[in-house]
Amino acid sequence: MTNHYKQVGHSIPKIGITERLTGAPVFSADINLRNPLILRVLRSRRHHARIRSIDTTAARTIDGVVAIFTAKDIPGKNAHGIINKDQPLLMGDKVRSLSDPVALVAAKTDTAARKALDRIKVDYDDLPAVFTPEDAMAPDAPAIHDKGNILFTRKIKRGDPETAFKACAVVVEKTYRTTRIEHAFLEPDAGAGYVDDDGTLVIFASTQNPHYDHQAVVSILGLEKDRVRIIQTATGGGFGSKLDLNVQGFIGLALYHLKQPVRMIYSREESFLATAKRHPLTMTLKTGADKQGRLIATRATIICDTGAYASYGIPVASRSAVHATGPYEIEHVDIESHCVYTNNPFSGAMRGFGTPQMAIAHESQMDLIAAQLDIDPLEIRKINALSVGSVTSTGQKLTASVGIGECLDRLGPYYEQARNEWLKEGDIPYRKKGIGIGGMWYGIGNTGTKNPSTAKIKLTPDGRLTLYTGAADIGQGSSTVLAQIAAEVLGITAESLHLVVADTQRTTSAGATSASRQTYISGNAVHIAATACASALIAEAAALLDLPASALVLSDGNVIEAAGSTRRVDFARLASRLLEKKKPLEWHGVFDPDTTALDPETGQGVPYATYAYAAQLVLLSVDTLTGEVFVEKVFAAHDVGKAIHPENVIGQICGGVVMGLGFALMEEYTPEETDSLKDYHVPTCADLPDIVPIIVEAPEPTGPFGAKGVGEPALIPTAPAVINALAHALGKRIYQLPASLEKVLAVSIETGHYGPKEA
Amino acid sequence: MRIHFNLNGKAIAVDAPVGTSALSLLRDYLGLKGTKEGCGIGECGACAIEVDGKAVNACLMFAAQLDGRTVLTVEGLETPSGLHPIQEAFRDHHAVQCGYCTPGLLMSTHALLAEKPHPDHDDINTAISGHLCRCTGYKNIVSAIEAAGKNPGGKN
Ligand code: FES
Ligand code: FES
Repeated sequence: MTNHYKQVGHSIPKIGITERLTGAPVFSADINLRNPLILRVLRSRRHHARIRSIDTTAARTIDGVVAIFTAKDIPGKNAHGIINKDQPLLMGDKVRSLSDPVALVAAKTDTAARKALDRIKVDYDDLPAVFTPEDAMAPDAPAIHDKGNILFTRKIKRGDPETAFKACAVVVEKTYRTTRIEHAFLEPDAGAGYVDDDGTLVIFASTQNPHYDHQAVVSILGLEKDRVRIIQTATGGGFGSKLDLNVQGFIGLALYHLKQPVRMIYSREESFLATAKRHPLTMTLKTGADKQGRLIATRATIICDTGAYASYGIPVASRSAVHATGPYEIEHVDIESHCVYTNNPFSGAMRGFGTPQMAIAHESQMDLIAAQLDIDPLEIRKINALSVGSVTSTGQKLTASVGIGECLDRLGPYYEQARNEWLKEGDIPYRKKGIGIGGMWYGIGNTGTKNPSTAKIKLTPDGRLTLYTGAADIGQGSSTVLAQIAAEVLGITAESLHLVVADTQRTTSAGATSASRQTYISGNAVHIAATACASALIAEAAALLDLPASALVLSDGNVIEAAGSTRRVDFARLASRLLEKKKPLEWHGVFDPDTTALDPETGQGVPYATYAYAAQLVLLSVDTLTGEVFVEKVFAAHDVGKAIHPENVIGQICGGVVMGLGFALMEEYTPEETDSLKDYHVPTCADLPDIVPIIVEAPEPTGPFGAKGVGEPALIPTAPAVINALAHALGKRIYQLPASLEKVLAVSIETGHYGPKEA
Repeated sequence: MRIHFNLNGKAIAVDAPVGTSALSLLRDYLGLKGTKEGCGIGECGACAIEVDGKAVNACLMFAAQLDGRTVLTVEGLETPSGLHPIQEAFRDHHAVQCGYCTPGLLMSTHALLAEKPHPDHDDINTAISGHLCRCTGYKNIVSAIEAAGKNPGGKN
């Protein structure tokens, strides 16, 4: 297929790559400030307790300690949280989990700050604590928050599943559990700040959402909006965790009182202890199908443990409910998803918002049903795959860009080859081979709520163009993609476009870098702004050249006649003409996807304007004597609508697959036991399988150049495909993640694969 | 305590308190922020530097251990004509996402190629086995190192 675009669809060098290759000081911990004070936080280390008193007298006498702040020093509202403001910056009356912050120390050195932490005396009255959602929902459970322990319930009801189950040829009901996962981005949370000449608090932060940070800090400090400026620095990965307010509020509080430069860097242990985790989910699914394998009805009960604070708990509960069917059409559904407070570390956003957990359940169900009906696992997915015209569980009719069928088709030849050849090759003693498929769908953007993005294009009098976007690039490459979209429309190269990114004083909000939304939503905002700029330039050139606007195009910083004559006018000339006419040289774009709120009782509505789809095929073998799993190959087919930057898409797929392997096989966060990279294991290059990324492009008519998103979808199918492949290899399924060495070995023993074989 | 060593091709002397780590010496005393801290306990490789031609984790070394040695950090990779061929390979193979792991990986690659100009797959895996990257899934990093090994002089 030829690419007639000059920017879009080309894998140009990533914006910001040179700084990263040369070690330029672009991360928060690197920012040069004059003698910054070091900030450290005292954390409760109690699960649930009332604070009787905090005594900082002794700590204040330590040499080098400049100030110690507690809840009473917070001038504004001592509360933050993206949706529910239930998380105090510093705890005033009680603590609800181990990592709750109670005091903030500012000191001249880190040593002094750490000493001060040891000398602060906090008197607590311990309260009964609960660690499972089931206990937290019991009628006599201790109340973690005043409003009770059930944070939220999402219901989706459609048709009549109970009657429908009776007519099904097969009904499978199982419970699946996933565990707490740490994001383990490589850059521990960090930030820095100073007070500007005019009194503005300038805060640099490693963040996924500078405009939310801004709102939160303004509210905590009770300041006017223009007194706080958040600048996103280079961010060393986020995966959802850097959507919460981590260091930003502490830096703001210290700047407010001390008016001198400060820096705050979490140690790796603190980053483990104090930041969000992936929600552990318990999912009970009852799924029924007819004789031909067509899914008829499903009932799902989902329980999400959000820990001590809500963070992104509501979106996780909501999204897991909406995605509970998987990428399949099911007429009768009854889904309830509950999000529950416990005294565990708080759970928040992590790559997929509940969808990766949900996919374990719906994909296992598919294989179980297929086995009972003796239908091939790939075939049963094809039979049920959503397509244009399908109606989802929320009653949304899909009108375009439904690529799940094509993703499954593209896996077909590899699947056949694996079954007919790979499976039979090289019989290694005590090794069992397995093949597994995982499918997924993923709604782009926030669930049934407004989530607009904005962008601006500015032209200088000498004809240069600048893109202003609030979108935080956390390594996935949004700046590059947004620049490509703008440059394509404006007829210039992405490299020649100047960028101003994620600075709350200079850019307007693009919303969070989450929900795989920046390419589709911010991409559209950028596209709209760039199109407005291009139209203005063309109109001006048309008047000047005395040609119809329809005969003109933008190319290399000029407006030229499309037919290829030599008639042209450059942007500088057009800029000065526009200036003479007193026209503003900037153009704005706003885009908010077309969604509707979900009905609170039935969940019916349009939660997302578009969906990404994917299917992955995993080939693995199991050492039946040790439980070790060797993932050999992963074929990953992803419908992204349009790959604006194919190598970025491939990069997301490969990174997602490997993160998915960690989720499937090894990762499990246990507070106070796995608070370091020594004890919490993430995949290394030794775990790297042969990954074959397959890009599918089912264009989305409302997307910029047809694009949707890929950041989270990349990870979602991997773990279910691994779990299915393990079940295929061993003949018995694992229902609780991770499928660790111990669990796999236990299954190997139970199924009689362990031990010497009879001759 | 005064420490003398060769840093990125220049002889330097620097004072630092006893007990300072090599990582802190570079970042806090010499202002070279390219070397990163990801864990502080030798588990992630973000702090890798080259000392006498070998890649080591700077967080696990005392500054005093650098005395009299030859040290290369990411800041010393660039050549007068621009990026080092290894840096070019990482760029061209899209081996950088957030870039926090990148400086450490570049240094381990540099040490590897100095020892084995044409490493095979196992050599590469061993050389970067102590590095964590949470973004890329390693595939493009391995391809970049392979390419740098095939073409040590860089482009053309
Ligand atoms: S910071 Fe040195 S190995 Fe992680
Ligand atoms: S690129 Fe982000 S950790 Fe490697």
